Amino acid sequence: MASSDAAGKKAAARGKRRRAARIVGVVVIVALIGAAALLAGAFDPSYQASDVDHNPPDAQLLARGRYLAAAADCAACHTARGGAPYAGGDALATPFGTIHGSNITPDKRYGIGKWSSADFYRALHDGLGPDHPLYPAMPYTSYRGITRADSDAIYAYLQSIKPVALPDKGNDFAFPFNLRLLMRGWNLLFLKNTLPDVSVGSSQQWTRGRYLSNALGHCTECHTPRGALGQLKLGGTLGGGELGRFQAPDITPSGLAARGWTPQDLQTFLARGYAPQGSVYGDMYEAFHHSLRYLNSADNQAMVAYLLGDAPPAPQPAPAPAAAGGQDQSVMAGRQHYLALCAGCHAVDGSGKPDVAVAMLGNTTVRNADPHNLLVVMLDGLDEQSFTGYNAMQPMPGFAGKLDDAGMADLANYLRLTWGGQKANVQAADVKALRGKGAAQQ
Amino acid sequence: MSTAAKPMPAAPAAAAPAVAPLPNRSVSMTINGRAVGPFEVPESLMLIDFLHEYAGLTGSRLGCGQGICHACVVILDHPDGTSEEVRGCITGAAYFQGRKIRTIEGHAQHNAAGEVTALSPVQQKFLEFYSFQCGYCTPGFVNAATVLMERLKRQPIEKDRVESVVTQALDAHICRCTGYVRYHRAVRDLILSTPGLTKESGHGK
Repeated sequence: MASSDAAGKKAAARGKRRRAARIVGVVVIVALIGAAALLAGAFDPSYQASDVDHNPPDAQLLARGRYLAAAADCAACHTARGGAPYAGGDALATPFGTIHGSNITPDKRYGIGKWSSADFYRALHDGLGPDHPLYPAMPYTSYRGITRADSDAIYAYLQSIKPVALPDKGNDFAFPFNLRLLMRGWNLLFLKNTLPDVSVGSSQQWTRGRYLSNALGHCTECHTPRGALGQLKLGGTLGGGELGRFQAPDITPSGLAARGWTPQDLQTFLARGYAPQGSVYGDMYEAFHHSLRYLNSADNQAMVAYLLGDAPPAPQPAPAPAAAGGQDQSVMAGRQHYLALCAGCHAVDGSGKPDVAVAMLGNTTVRNADPHNLLVVMLDGLDEQSFTGYNAMQPMPGFAGKLDDAGMADLANYLRLTWGGQKANVQAADVKALRGKGAAQQ
Repeated sequence: MSTAAKPMPAAPAAAAPAVAPLPNRSVSMTINGRAVGPFEVPESLMLIDFLHEYAGLTGSRLGCGQGICHACVVILDHPDGTSEEVRGCITGAAYFQGRKIRTIEGHAQHNAAGEVTALSPVQQKFLEFYSFQCGYCTPGFVNAATVLMERLKRQPIEKDRVESVVTQALDAHICRCTGYVRYHRAVRDLILSTPGLTKESGHGK
């Protein structure tokens, strides 16, 4: 009895397990079919045609499209240095490989000449091209916020420019990142309808600024840290991100205020490329040249209103010049390096020279708690810069060959303590970690 | 900044005290093989002013004062036998403490009375090729060409690279009179006619 009872129990348990396995199997199969359908594009959205597909655009629409294309900085990735406008960009290095911005001139074979306005909107809004998904190097995570009307205007403008028959350079992504259909899964996980706000505001100006910054200007693509899969870590929105050799600094209201930014200075910086806090450099120089300087004054002010909020935090004043120094060995050695190698252009008192070199006193990079960018500029130098009008900054030589790691750290500490209001805590190892890392200049 | 642009007869000991007076520093260096100093100089003094107003060497030219035109460059001699150009207008005198430099005054040979007896090969070529007109940029060009010659002596280049290497070496120097071509020709000619600076082109290829 006892044994047959046990056998029955065992059989029942086996049956239960078998049933459970069957249910799991069905769920897995359904999930796999669902995932396959998703990755194959069965759930891809599609959009209606619009006026611009049928009616020839008028001059006003084209002008608006041109302005919006500049505000969205399409040229950053889609125009190569010295290349034809929008005919494809220079290499963009990502952790997954190198990618090139595609040809978005109206060439029928190599460009977007065959695209409809709905195709174009879907590319901006969903990261899906007519033939295959795009990679998120195309900032559709931000462009998702662009309105259909603005998308149509940009589309009409791009269709009006000179077609260039230049094939795309593509990318060199390795497996599995070369499988574009996986991007549909990425989109499911990381493509959000709205981006978090960096500041508090409700004014019309602030709302316009949010659109300019979050959607068109796609500030977040560089200024927000990214996760292992290249996704934006939106909890730290605009808190600063890695950007190749440089770091994109913290541009939250508190981050900007800590480095002394006022609304007026930030407006000047975005419109003219420099302000008392310093000049644009690195990738921001490109963004300034292709995009930010073209914003009209209402949009320029709106962008700043959004970045700092309707009630901007009080900027922290730069440290009093003579206060620093002290008896710190590193700082005293750094002062001698400054006088020997830097003061000729940046001036003994750190006030800089107009159109030659920026001021160190109150400089936003010197005031950054993280010395990364300061050290990179000191090691590599900067190319000559031109701004609006006749304003310019001269090329800064790199000093990698002039100062050893300890000397660099001493100099950085002198700058930070004297003019940055920061601690003299840069170590030789910090310099060593950055030295030669991808720096071709010198 | 210093009083570089103004021709001052005496040492600028009392620079305009707009801010706190700057401390002095003792600076000595070897210039053209001769020990110079020590001089007590303002710690922010640039090398060009040190040469003009302390060392009595007025041949180096102050041009832009911003490190662009390269009229002011001197030759810095490293202990390992290599040499490089350094801009005197934006490099502090104290940077050269204990170091060895050469200026335009150090190229020609002089007799005991201080008269020039022979120009350096670079100087001679510049004369032969009428390389300069007003001559303001010439000290910089002489130093640049000399540094290049010394480098090629250590590391000869293929003959077909001479053109581009000369361009590279002189590229940063600005001249407003003769348009560079005669400087370029002179240096090219000197390199090709000096044994040991070039090797035959096309080795292994």
